Amino acid sequence: MDTIIRAVIGYFILLLVVRLLKRRAGSQMTLFEFVLVFLIGGVIILATVGQDRSVTNCTCAVIAVGFVHRCVAWAKSRSAKLGTLIDGTPLVLIKQGVWQEDVVHGMGIRPEDVAAAARGRGITSLNDVDYAVLERNGGISIVPKT
Amino acid sequence: MTTQPHITPVEDTVPKVAGELAVGENLEFQHRWWTFERIIWPIFLLVVVFDLLGGLGHGWLAKAKAATSGGALTLDYERIERANTPSTMTLHFGPAAIREGHIQVFVSNSVVQELGAQRIAPQPAVSSVGEDGISYTFPASVSPADIQIQLQPSDVGLHRFRVRIPQVAAIEARVLVLP
Repeated sequence: MDTIIRAVIGYFILLLVVRLLKRRAGSQMTLFEFVLVFLIGGVIILATVGQDRSVTNCTCAVIAVGFVHRCVAWAKSRSAKLGTLIDGTPLVLIKQGVWQEDVVHGMGIRPEDVAAAARGRGITSLNDVDYAVLERNGGISIVPKT
Repeated sequence: MTTQPHITPVEDTVPKVAGELAVGENLEFQHRWWTFERIIWPIFLLVVVFDLLGGLGHGWLAKAKAATSGGALTLDYERIERANTPSTMTLHFGPAAIREGHIQVFVSNSVVQELGAQRIAPQPAVSSVGEDGISYTFPASVSPADIQIQLQPSDVGLHRFRVRIPQVAAIEARVLVLP
């Protein structure tokens, strides 16, 4: 039973910390951020499983985490507010060709990140970007000027 | 009669509201979230500093010492422990603790049960149970003499324990076991 309780607590701690990481942990990860995700995950695994490393214990922990994740996903689908709380909200970085400085600064986004996303759309100059949107999954969407 | 397939054309357009791209941005929420971040990160920092100081076990704040008057028994232990994590409680005996070539020490059952005593070093010559605890007898000649009890608590919470040298001195203390 302890394992399941620890797994549930670990899930929500991980969810909170990853949510606080400026939305870069899941998308556009650099090697620097890979280190972070693997290290946090490894530490949570140690605390969750404890000294009981049996297949039974690990299976129960995995099922518990899966169950909690499904419950959270269901709750998110029922409540837009909860979805916003857990996943955040899309944020406009460039609006009609103008940088939204407070959002860019607040999210710790560098112009190089937006330029990289623009190059992915075949745009070579940020002057040709009409909108850049930081999506909830951490990706940056680019809408070129027409 | 043939039925026409329902076709929804895929349009290469981006939804706009009042000439601006509609992405569902909620800046009001985001500003509240940034305020929350400004509060939570200093709290995280405090937790880390508190942990470095031993406030969450295994450090300067966690270490405790208790002694009886006369110095017959001095106890080094950790007042804050972590569940399922080993630690050591050390009993230092002064000259008054040695009687007829022996040291007899009583530890309450909570040391064995709640605090999870794993082993005692050196091994006692005699162990006997009673009075809600265990009495150990060790052959001893001269002081200082030390005994170490390795602990590994499994029960989370505040636990009281008692260590006593019969007819000489006793120490009562508390240990907080964190999850």
